[in-house]
Parts: sequence; C-alpha cells; structure tokens
Amino acid sequence: MPDPSLFSVVAGSAEPIYRQLVAQVRRCVAGGQLKAGDELPSVRDLAQALAVNPMTVSKAFGLLEAEGLVTRRRGLAMVIAEQHRHAQSAADRVDLLRPTLERAAQEVRQLQLPAAQALALFKTILNENEGE
Amino acid sequence: MSAPRNDAAPSYLSLQGLSVAFGAQRVLDRLDWQLPSGQVVGLLGRNGAGKTTLIETLLGLREPDAGQALLFGHASQALPDDVRARIGYVPQRSDLFEWLTPDQLLAYFRSFYPRWNDAKVQGLMSRWDIARDKPIGKLSGGQQQRLSIVRALAHEPELLVLDEPVASLDPAGRRDFLSELVDQVVDRRSTILFSTHILSDLERVAVDVAFLTGGRIALHAPLDELLESSVRLGGVQADIERFVEEHRLQALSREAGGPVIARGAGAIPAPTPTVSVDRATLEDLFLALTA
Repeated sequence: MPDPSLFSVVAGSAEPIYRQLVAQVRRCVAGGQLKAGDELPSVRDLAQALAVNPMTVSKAFGLLEAEGLVTRRRGLAMVIAEQHRHAQSAADRVDLLRPTLERAAQEVRQLQLPAAQALALFKTILNENEGE
Repeated sequence: MSAPRNDAAPSYLSLQGLSVAFGAQRVLDRLDWQLPSGQVVGLLGRNGAGKTTLIETLLGLREPDAGQALLFGHASQALPDDVRARIGYVPQRSDLFEWLTPDQLLAYFRSFYPRWNDAKVQGLMSRWDIARDKPIGKLSGGQQQRLSIVRALAHEPELLVLDEPVASLDPAGRRDFLSELVDQVVDRRSTILFSTHILSDLERVAVDVAFLTGGRIALHAPLDELLESSVRLGGVQADIERFVEEHRLQALSREAGGPVIARGAGAIPAPTPTVSVDRATLEDLFLALTA
C-alpha cells in the first residue's frame, strides 16, 4: 500500500515543489526505503495529501520516469524500477547528502559559528529525529 | 519587463488595453493579459495594486474607462446567461444575503443555474461544518467565506475566480480549501484565477504566476521556471551590476539598495568572491516585482 506520508513539501523554498518530490524519491530509493516494485501513491492521492496541484505531481513523476527511477505499470500506478533492488552504497548516499550540508556549512560560516558548535547541534538534531 | 505570456492555446480570458481610474488615480493602465485554459494562475500584487479591480472588470462587474475584457470570446460587459453559468466567483468580501440561512441562499442560487451538484454542496456543507439554518449574518467571517466558496463551486464552473479567498480562514480551513481546489483541477480541468497575498498557498496550487504592479501585468510565467531561473545577488552595487551584465541576467528589482533579484536564461551562475548568489524564493520575486 503506497504511503503518501513518505512525502512532504515546503512552501517558501527556492526549490520548486516538483523538484522537492523528485529529490525525496531519489533519497528513499538510495536508502532502500523504496525498492523495486514498490508502488508510488497515485497522482491524485499524493496531490490531495499534500494539497498541491496534480500537474506538479505529474511533472515530478515524469522526471523520475525519465531518470529511470520509476516505471509506469499497466493501469497508471508508478512503481520503483527493477534495477533498484537494494539500497545504494554508503558512499553514494553520502554524495546525495553533500549539497544540503554544503549549504548548511555556508550558513555556519556566515553566522561565524565555531565548527564544534555546529556539529554538536547537528548531532542533537539527528538524535531528536531518531526518538520520533 | 517581459511581455505578458502569449500561448498558442485559445484564450479563455483576455484583457486588452484595459484602463480603470478612480478619480485622478489610475489603477489599471492599458493592461494586456491573456490566460490559458485549464491552468491555475496566481495573481500577485501588493495591497492596493488593483487585483480586485482587475477581477471585477474581468467579470464585467465594473466598466473599464478604456479597453475591453473578453471571457470565452464574449465581452464581459454583455455576457449571455449560458456563459455566465460557466463562471464561479468568490469575492473578497462575501456580500451574501445576511438575512437568509445558508440553505435558503443555496436554494435561491440553484434556480439560476442549469447545472448544480447537490452531492458536492451537501458534502462540503457538512465537511466544512457550516450551520444551515442560522441567518448568514450570524455566521463567523470564516464560515461566510466557506459558504461563498460552496456557492461558487456548486454549479461546477469552467472558470473559477477567487479574490483573496482564504483571508478569513485559519490554516486548517485553508488546507481544506486547497484540497477542494485540487479536486476541482483533477475532476473538471477548470481554469482557476486566484488572487492572494498568502504566498505559501499560492505556491502549492498555482502553475503560473502573474505580478500586477503599476497598473499592468509586469510578468506572467510558470512558477517552476521562474524559481529555477531567478537568483538573489548580494554584494556591493557596482560588483552586482558588473555581474548582472557579465552573465546576461535581467535585474527584476526596482528599489535601490537591498538585494538584487535577477533572472537568467541558462544555468545559475557561480558566486564570485565579491558577489553572493542564492536561489530566489517566490517571496524574493514578489518583493522585487511588485515594489
């Protein structure tokens, strides 16, 4: 049963909503949370759950299909493509995280925070989410 | 500023050389604008920019001093009844008949339309918890606004025009309303024109955005493209100006001082030691384009 709660969007970001969705699927596939054959929610269900325009969801799905991450099964359901059976290597996953951390590092420098303090905060945040 | 967008698709809605003045104050100034069909378009402008005037003129509720508005190919000033029945409108201030109850009001409006989706009306009335037999004047502002939305959706319009529809709704109410709009897009492929100053709502549902400023549509573009091609530049004015020129960007902000918002055609340029480059948000664009 596809679960729309894997997805979330933030308004007010410089990143368009369809790109946010694409990046989330990419991460879930890389991390093995979504594997070959897993179904994505329908455009309609996801648009409803996130209160976003269905065209935006379609656009994200189209891009994922072009990237080879998902394939369109008979009917209309999108499923994770065959070759994504396992989570990617840790090195590949770290690469996916890098841009986000680069942005965070830039903000740390702008705020003139010592590295140790920023790292301690990151650790705290990681642990907070673990507890959820 | 770039020209208003011109699509090959037949336009549902077209404004040509539209001018409206209140006394000496020119609100709309030879405004040209075309809207493609089946799209959700967000109309953005600061308070007093003329969003309501534009909408009212478009719907034929206000006579322009010059120019004309066309809806489905008909002059807005003289819309045939069958064309009028294809339009739904949620005004900024709901001017519902305050002495009627919601049930009476809906029964009254129902008589005007050849089509009326009673199941939808009943569903929304219960889901949105609107008291059916209290005089409308006694309902809260939020409930009146919801009722106004129910009324506008009941006849399944092809064109839905909403003027600040969420102003008196709380966040949960806005979410419900947005879901309803999403339904409307999925089920009916309606064209939706939506003015608001709540950018986060707009971002979720609008495919295109149009900025109204100085009496004209300064820019109409797909929101995604706009976000992907726009940057916020920081640094000393002279450095920024050189940077803009070098990368053939189009500066969008008009106010002197403050960050410069610019738009390019290609990839986002890399920052230099003297000029910082960040991706622009819709808020950055709004502030820059409606200054």
